[in-house]
Amino acid sequence: MEFRARNYIAEEQSHALPRSRAAIHPLSSPSPPTHLRQVDDNVENRNNEEFFDPLRAPDSNAPVKIVDGRDSESSSYGNDDSAQVQMKEWTSFKRFLMQRFPVSKMISISSMSNMIVRGGKAYEKYSTSMHMEELDDPQKSSEEGAKVITWREYVSRLHELKEEINGAWHNEDRVKSLKLSIKVARLLMDTSVSNFYPTLFVLTTDVLDMVGNVVWERIRQKAEFAEDGTKFCSLPENFRASDVCIDAKETCYNWFCKVGSIRELLPRIYLELAILPCWRFLTEQPAESLQRLVMMTRGLADPLASAYCRLYIAHRAQKLPFYDTGYLITCVNDIKLIFTQISSAKETAHGCLADSKSSLVSLMEPAIEFIMKCIFNDASLMRVGKVLVELGIGRSQEELFGGSSCVSIVLHHLLKELPTDVVSSHAVDILHLIKCSNDYSYDQCLNYRLLGLRLCEQISQIGSVDDIVNEVILVVSQCGLDEYLKVIDAYLDIVLQNQMDGHLKTILEGISELACDQVIAEDELAGLQSILVKVLSHFEDLEDVFSLNHFLQILDLMHGSSRSIVNMHILDMATRNGYVRDPTSIQLIFEISQELHNDIDIANKKNDDNQQQARLISHFVRMVDHGTEYEQHLAFLVECRGAFSSIIELKEILVHSSNFLATKALKDGKKHLSFVKSCMAFSEVTIPSISGHIKQLHLYLETAEVALLGGLVSHSDGLIDSALDCLQSFDRMEGSRAAVDSDGILSSIRKLCSLLIMVPDNPEVGILHIPKSILSIIHSQSWSPRMKTRIFCAIVSLSATLSQGRLPYHAFHPEVMGNDLLFFGNSSYVHELISLAASVLENLVDVIEREPSQAARGNMSLEACNCIVSSFKINEHVLLVCSKLIEIAKLCLSAKDKYLISTISFLDKNLPAATAASSITV
Amino acid sequence: MSTKIELKLSRPNRIYLPYEPLEGKIVVKSASSISHSGIRMAFNGSVNLQVRGGSAGVIESFYGVVKPIPILSKILEIKPSGKIVSGTTEIPFSITLRNPKEDNLERFYETFHGTNISIQYLATIDILRGYLHKSLSATLEFIVESDKADLHDQPISPEMVIFYITQDTQRHPILPELKSGGFRITGRISTQCSMLEPLSGELTVEASTLPICSVDIHLLRVESILLGEKIITETSLIQTTQIADGDVCRNMTLPIYVVLPRLFTCPTVLAGPFSIEFKVAVVISFQSELSRLHPKSDPITPRLWTAMETLPLELVRTSRAYDSNADVPNAYAYAALASLV
Repeated sequence: MEFRARNYIAEEQSHALPRSRAAIHPLSSPSPPTHLRQVDDNVENRNNEEFFDPLRAPDSNAPVKIVDGRDSESSSYGNDDSAQVQMKEWTSFKRFLMQRFPVSKMISISSMSNMIVRGGKAYEKYSTSMHMEELDDPQKSSEEGAKVITWREYVSRLHELKEEINGAWHNEDRVKSLKLSIKVARLLMDTSVSNFYPTLFVLTTDVLDMVGNVVWERIRQKAEFAEDGTKFCSLPENFRASDVCIDAKETCYNWFCKVGSIRELLPRIYLELAILPCWRFLTEQPAESLQRLVMMTRGLADPLASAYCRLYIAHRAQKLPFYDTGYLITCVNDIKLIFTQISSAKETAHGCLADSKSSLVSLMEPAIEFIMKCIFNDASLMRVGKVLVELGIGRSQEELFGGSSCVSIVLHHLLKELPTDVVSSHAVDILHLIKCSNDYSYDQCLNYRLLGLRLCEQISQIGSVDDIVNEVILVVSQCGLDEYLKVIDAYLDIVLQNQMDGHLKTILEGISELACDQVIAEDELAGLQSILVKVLSHFEDLEDVFSLNHFLQILDLMHGSSRSIVNMHILDMATRNGYVRDPTSIQLIFEISQELHNDIDIANKKNDDNQQQARLISHFVRMVDHGTEYEQHLAFLVECRGAFSSIIELKEILVHSSNFLATKALKDGKKHLSFVKSCMAFSEVTIPSISGHIKQLHLYLETAEVALLGGLVSHSDGLIDSALDCLQSFDRMEGSRAAVDSDGILSSIRKLCSLLIMVPDNPEVGILHIPKSILSIIHSQSWSPRMKTRIFCAIVSLSATLSQGRLPYHAFHPEVMGNDLLFFGNSSYVHELISLAASVLENLVDVIEREPSQAARGNMSLEACNCIVSSFKINEHVLLVCSKLIEIAKLCLSAKDKYLISTISFLDKNLPAATAASSITV
Repeated sequence: MSTKIELKLSRPNRIYLPYEPLEGKIVVKSASSISHSGIRMAFNGSVNLQVRGGSAGVIESFYGVVKPIPILSKILEIKPSGKIVSGTTEIPFSITLRNPKEDNLERFYETFHGTNISIQYLATIDILRGYLHKSLSATLEFIVESDKADLHDQPISPEMVIFYITQDTQRHPILPELKSGGFRITGRISTQCSMLEPLSGELTVEASTLPICSVDIHLLRVESILLGEKIITETSLIQTTQIADGDVCRNMTLPIYVVLPRLFTCPTVLAGPFSIEFKVAVVISFQSELSRLHPKSDPITPRLWTAMETLPLELVRTSRAYDSNADVPNAYAYAALASLV
């Protein structure tokens, strides 16, 4: 056998595609007329084209249709939109209520709710009497004190009741369903288990809403259909009372009479609210009754019951098509009065009530929140003024915040809902208002904080920034650390964006003074974190931040996860603008990284946060640049390896960095050879500690390449040996994952083969020692036939290349002699190569035949055939192997397969003239 | 043989004015044909008086029922003798209760259901079937309201009566701590009220040392019957409406809004042999241990822990725009029938 002689330079020239200069970049957007023209061309040519380009698909009609469909849908929704939004808001509000006040397992039920305990028996008997009096039979006969049931029972009982009401309604027993509804509403009179009240409210109003809906539907039915079921009129969505027939009106009024005859105040109000929308059938001004209901609610002395009753008013009023928010303002004012009353009661009573009071306030808070939201729903500026005046906060339209103080919890929710414009243009007045509104119902500093947050929504619009910030700093100067942080945090963006450096200094100084000699609590840490992060993200340059007085001092006071988060921000900032070059910064950030690394919980390595930290540290190490101070950089790398031992990905980066460093030094000149050696040593020592043999393999090869570049042949030999060791131990260590990574290994081995072309053979260990080792590894491994075939091909190609008089490429370093120079004309060397290649050929066909997949087998044999034909001069022996391979391919692939056809023609072309005729026609 | 006979009136609420035609139909459902000797309808109205409790003595109670006062008694011959075919047969009828030309001296009092006095109008259908068969009959109550001719000439005065309730205005004994601590509840309430309007007013708790338990408005009827030389009067409760639950805020105005129950109220009547009047009582119950010891009994009896003010209430019928589409809901203060719910 004989290798084919190759002239790589000539081959490259002949195979290179002819190049011609292009005037336009093919991907740049063409000018419109050309574009149109192109499209036209495409349309014409499309049928002739062999393949279909999905990007050119001119199915332009389909998307247009979709758009049309959406349009018609959205227009049909139009009217219902706001109602749907309100429904959704209410549903999420209810969920929020239940979540905010979770219910303990057991509830003690006072006698009021006896119907729940006694189950259905209590009201099986109903006289058909028309009057409601017996409804009022108060079930107070058994006042044996509180009973205890689980709340689950309570809820399921309520669900049963709902079903019963529904059932009775559908059985035409509407009186019964009304009676049951009243009983359900009556449950809300019991506020004894105050924490259960919000849940109770949600459950009962759910039932009442349902009752309201069925009554509405019934009356509407009466207004549209005659008794015999014929439709005599169709009420439009925005119908008027005058459109409604007498019959329906009478039924409707009768409902209001029934409800009006309920003895107790609370169920009477709730039931009327449930059927409130029905006033539309009777009067053109259905909202008028709202004002009366609001006034009636004043009769409920229990603060909790009355607050939630007002909440229900606000909810049901949304069902009316049009209403004035005046009645809601009355609600808020009445609630304010209750708060004032509670707070004055506090003065007379003893201190232990304070706790129950604050829990009462928090129970009432959702009601205020919801009502405020309703008041400011799409409120115009004009209206805002009116609202503020009516709430007693503003004196007039001009002086919106000139009035007296306000109950602080009310103020809080008002502030939440005020339009941004109003907040930013009246910030100073609001600050004064907050200052004079300091009572038990809400933490004053949270109102200061809220104002700050609201102001930040539109920083550019704030009028008198200086006044505000001065005032706020004055306020916080009397606070403790926690409050200081909460308030300042909200205003910090204003300070930063307006470049108020003096104030920033004052603030940082204030913090460090307050924080310096105390243990910092969780809340305070969160505040510090937020503040430091804001400062960090405001500045462009980390050095500016570090130079701020007290910044590092405050950072030092922090600990735990908050500190880690700030550290991560610093790291992120340090590396996002490119290389880090300043040695002091590097030192500082290195220390920060070390802290961060110490915080990484070894047990939770998989944790996302920790991965983020590891990524940031690695990124930092990669971005450090010591310029020409190579030694120092390497020292840094060594330090990093010691400091961040638990970060695996970092070690890879360290090896890459050290290799990069070596390359940089090499390009710099010859004088750094010893330095390059230290880099190599560093890499060599670091690689084994990296887990994963494939990673190691890659890194060894990379380092070997660098060593070769530096002319360190013995180093590269050693590194290649280590790489081979990796390969050797691969199957044993990671056998199960072999299949997944086989492509990776294959490409590494191929890379190794191409590297070997440059590596001078070492006669001391035997010529072709490395390819032989590879072969013996292949034989010992249980790799797939596909992989083995490809490695065999790689070795055949390698041998053929090494046999050439001139190698396609050489090591960059002048002192490294190529094999072509070392062994030129050495017949024993060529003989070795031939025998190596021949031994591969022997096994090749066997391996291919072991491949189970037919298509893969065919392609593999063609691949091998191509490789052989381009490596050897064809003689009989070679031809025999080739025709075997073609045979396999023919069996496996269709005769029209393009690869098969072109391989056959390639083989034909290379046949010596004598044998050409007979062989291939077989 | 099942035969069902039913009366149906043209108005689902069954309310008619005396001069209006009372229209409706007789619905007979029968499996077989029925021969009869005539179909006749009777329309009767009367004031039924009963003496019981109240200021009546033992002897009066013993006599019990006083002779009813007839208002209306009309017979309408629907059909002469004949046959009703099997299946469902509907026979319409129409009658004007009060013929303005007739010299009808008795007034058409409005329908009222009280404890001692009830004013009721009934329509009865009889299908006479000779001596061998029981006659088929059905009865239906219809409701009469005063017609326009009887309406009050005076307009309803919008004025309200102002009341004060303090420890000194109480005519019954009250708890010593109430007496010494004192309380003051003021308000105003209408004492003349249209049947179409809710009873309205307002109330303010100005001061009270004892916490308040509840504030209720009681609607009372005062029925008087002339029995011989004696007038027997009884006051009873029609309806209670709570307007304050618990110890409400001081100096906050609470609305009084009481929907008048229908059938159980009527315009105030002062006739010779009987009278129907109304009162409204504002009752304040204070929180007291004593109240728990007493089971809930008659709510209008004065108690140690309650304070009250009772005011006369005149109910009047104002004209109603029955057929127009008036905006005010008050025009529909009718139809107290369960079937209409």
